[in-house]
Amino acid sequence: MLTKLAMTGFKNRWRDYLVLFSGLIMSSAIFYMFEALATNKQFLSSNSGISLAGQIFQFGSVLLTIITLVYISYANSFLLSMRKRDYGLFMLVGARKSKIGQLIWLETLLVGITATIVGIALGTILTVGVSKLLVSSLGLTLHHFAAWYTPAASTTLLLYVGLFLLAGFFNLIALTKTPALKLLHSNDQPNRPRLKPFRQLVEVIIGLISIAIGYWAMSDLKNLQMAGIGIALVTIVIGTYLLFNAIFVWLVVLLKQFNFAHRGLNGFTLSQLSFRIRNYTKILSIVAMLFALALGAITVGMGFHRQVPLMANSSNAYDMGIVNATTAQKKQIAKLNPTNQANYHFKVGKKVVYYRASEFNQHPFTTMDQKSKNQIDSVAKQNNAKQLAKSMTSYQLSQLQASANQNMSQVFLSDAAYAKITSKQSTLTIFATKDVAKHMNALKHLAASQQRRDKGLTESMLGGRYGNYIIVNGMYSGLEFMGFFLGVAFLAMLASCLMFKILSGAAADRNRYKMLNKIGTRQSQLRAAIRKEIAVLFILPGIVGVIHVLFGLKMFTFIMVGSPYTGIWLPFLIFAALYVIYYLITVSIYRRIVLE
Amino acid sequence: MANTPIMTVADLHKTYGKPGTKQYEALKGIDFEVNAGEFVGIMGASGSGKTTLLNMLATLDQPTSGEVTINQQPITHLKGNQLADFRAKEIGFIFQDFNLLETMTAFENIALPLTLQNVAAKKIKPAVEMVASQLGISQFLNNYPNELSGGQKQRVAAARALINEPAMLFGDEPTGALDSKSARELLDLFTTINREQAVSILLVTHDPFSASYCQRILFIKDGKIGQELHRGDRSRTDFYQQILDTLGTFEQ
Repeated sequence: MLTKLAMTGFKNRWRDYLVLFSGLIMSSAIFYMFEALATNKQFLSSNSGISLAGQIFQFGSVLLTIITLVYISYANSFLLSMRKRDYGLFMLVGARKSKIGQLIWLETLLVGITATIVGIALGTILTVGVSKLLVSSLGLTLHHFAAWYTPAASTTLLLYVGLFLLAGFFNLIALTKTPALKLLHSNDQPNRPRLKPFRQLVEVIIGLISIAIGYWAMSDLKNLQMAGIGIALVTIVIGTYLLFNAIFVWLVVLLKQFNFAHRGLNGFTLSQLSFRIRNYTKILSIVAMLFALALGAITVGMGFHRQVPLMANSSNAYDMGIVNATTAQKKQIAKLNPTNQANYHFKVGKKVVYYRASEFNQHPFTTMDQKSKNQIDSVAKQNNAKQLAKSMTSYQLSQLQASANQNMSQVFLSDAAYAKITSKQSTLTIFATKDVAKHMNALKHLAASQQRRDKGLTESMLGGRYGNYIIVNGMYSGLEFMGFFLGVAFLAMLASCLMFKILSGAAADRNRYKMLNKIGTRQSQLRAAIRKEIAVLFILPGIVGVIHVLFGLKMFTFIMVGSPYTGIWLPFLIFAALYVIYYLITVSIYRRIVLE
Repeated sequence: MANTPIMTVADLHKTYGKPGTKQYEALKGIDFEVNAGEFVGIMGASGSGKTTLLNMLATLDQPTSGEVTINQQPITHLKGNQLADFRAKEIGFIFQDFNLLETMTAFENIALPLTLQNVAAKKIKPAVEMVASQLGISQFLNNYPNELSGGQKQRVAAARALINEPAMLFGDEPTGALDSKSARELLDLFTTINREQAVSILLVTHDPFSASYCQRILFIKDGKIGQELHRGDRSRTDFYQQILDTLGTFEQ
């Protein structure tokens, strides 16, 4: 009988359950999406040249687990507040506590497991969709990537079921220990926003110090290594939380002094915010962090992609080297309008390649030399034979050689000495075009024709700008994909966290808006109040997140050629657009709940 | 002032349920007038239709047929912004459960109707302070509703209802959630406001004690006005006795 009653309660409140379900499904779907990347070691190792990637993903996993924990505790208190009245009623009519306990367990677990399974299915679909979209729009190549990855699914299921078991246990205690009457009237009264100047000042100071430490840790990643990321994550989370906690109440009090607070519903909105903010500080700091991580991931991902030609260009001054070019190949080279071209004759001896010094004196070989010890950035340098023989970067010449000659040392001989070498003479043609990426297809064609003639010449042995471009692109495609993928996953997580939190408070607001309506507030004013209130809750973590990203990007200055800040507007713009869409969705759902 | 009607109610009907389904007629033709500055009570048992009637009068619900005019303005067909503005300017409402916004201080709650109309901030403060001192809540203006007693909350609600100088003040069992002392204080307050500021008041109640403060009482039963009592020059205690007697026979 009770089960039947519980089911009717379920039917009556399907709209609330819909909010709960969609929130949980989104959360588990995103968690799966993330795990599909994070637990796929093969994918990580084959797609990132950077050894940090695996560890970064582990950090991400831990972070996401913590967020999920908070998320589920919100979801659970939402569920609990929804059911409190019903269960109180059951108790009043004389249901046994043990029976009610069973029902609570059953309901919590049922809701949790159903949502998780649907979430994993949705997560798989999302993973397929997002990866396809990214691969096609970014022109990436991926290896060992699978949308369905069993370890990821089992991790997700285990975590969620575990958390829901905990939640069920918590609900059991919370409901059965509370007297029935209290359950019936458990409209939580908001607390008065208190100003405690001393405590809040201390919070602000500790908050600022923590954030400063975090920013410092990120900028000094070169020395701190992985510890730096750990320190930054912890200190920035703590700092953000303290700042939100301390500053916001003051901000509202301050804003209320201005005239605009006395216009229309502005005062009401401010009051709502100041009452709410205590409950919101946790979620706002998490959202700010997620915002920073998501935006950072996308920015860095795009940054790495911009690196590809830069990296290729700094590895060698020439696009490609061709030994004994055929007439067809020569024609193809001429078609590319090379900006720099040279032909060097050489003879191959035992473990050495002999060049004519005079040719190098006439046409100096350009090397790309490192500017300073720590930077990948490099400068072009013209070398005659003497300079090249001494140069640290003379390997850049051998990289352009035929496969068999790449490991031989180079000797520059006078014309007379060269003439005495008896082996057969060959010609090395090297050239550089203006832009490797632009001539990709023609260069690919040329490389293929050369690879047919020189069977040992694998892709990784092509050596020049073109070869490096191919290698770096393969490596950074993975990174860019991860960046975008993470960005989208984090964004979806943060937005649904925020959305869920806001919507779970909507029921309490329904009465307030009804009251406002009764005392003669225009619909347009009510709508505007909703828009403003939710906008503040979205904008605040957004601003903090952007600041975090701007500092966080400093981390990448030492693994990126050039500034990680160039072209930053594009990921910011993409992100802002997605964020605005989430905002609009939240507003429209909220409006439907509150104004009916 | 004595005989100009501030509100007229003509042949008001309200039927719940759509045609074809099982219908319930809550109001079966109500006619009455309230004169400017009058203090009128509407009494009736639970389910008699008094709350339905009040909701129609206060524009919170639409009648099936009939017309209500407040301050020469027909109100039954108001919609959207007109409706909101009418509520904000012409009507004050005091509810049984206070209906204060617990996120705002007493001051902010009282000022709300003025801020809704974008009255200049300079004018708001003196207006709130004046109405607060009339209602004896000046010292509570910075408190939040959950820091106030029931009687204090209801006086805050009354201040909010009065700050716009409405044509009509409606009370829906305003003493319902109060202890007898607070209830008495509130009703004395209503009487003072009614006398000194000539605010027209319509009080809906099932409590004879509250009703005894009115000048005229309409008894409603099964959706119709059954009887009308006038206090005239009698003392409140006499009038209270008469109400009790009337109720005794009326509800039989």
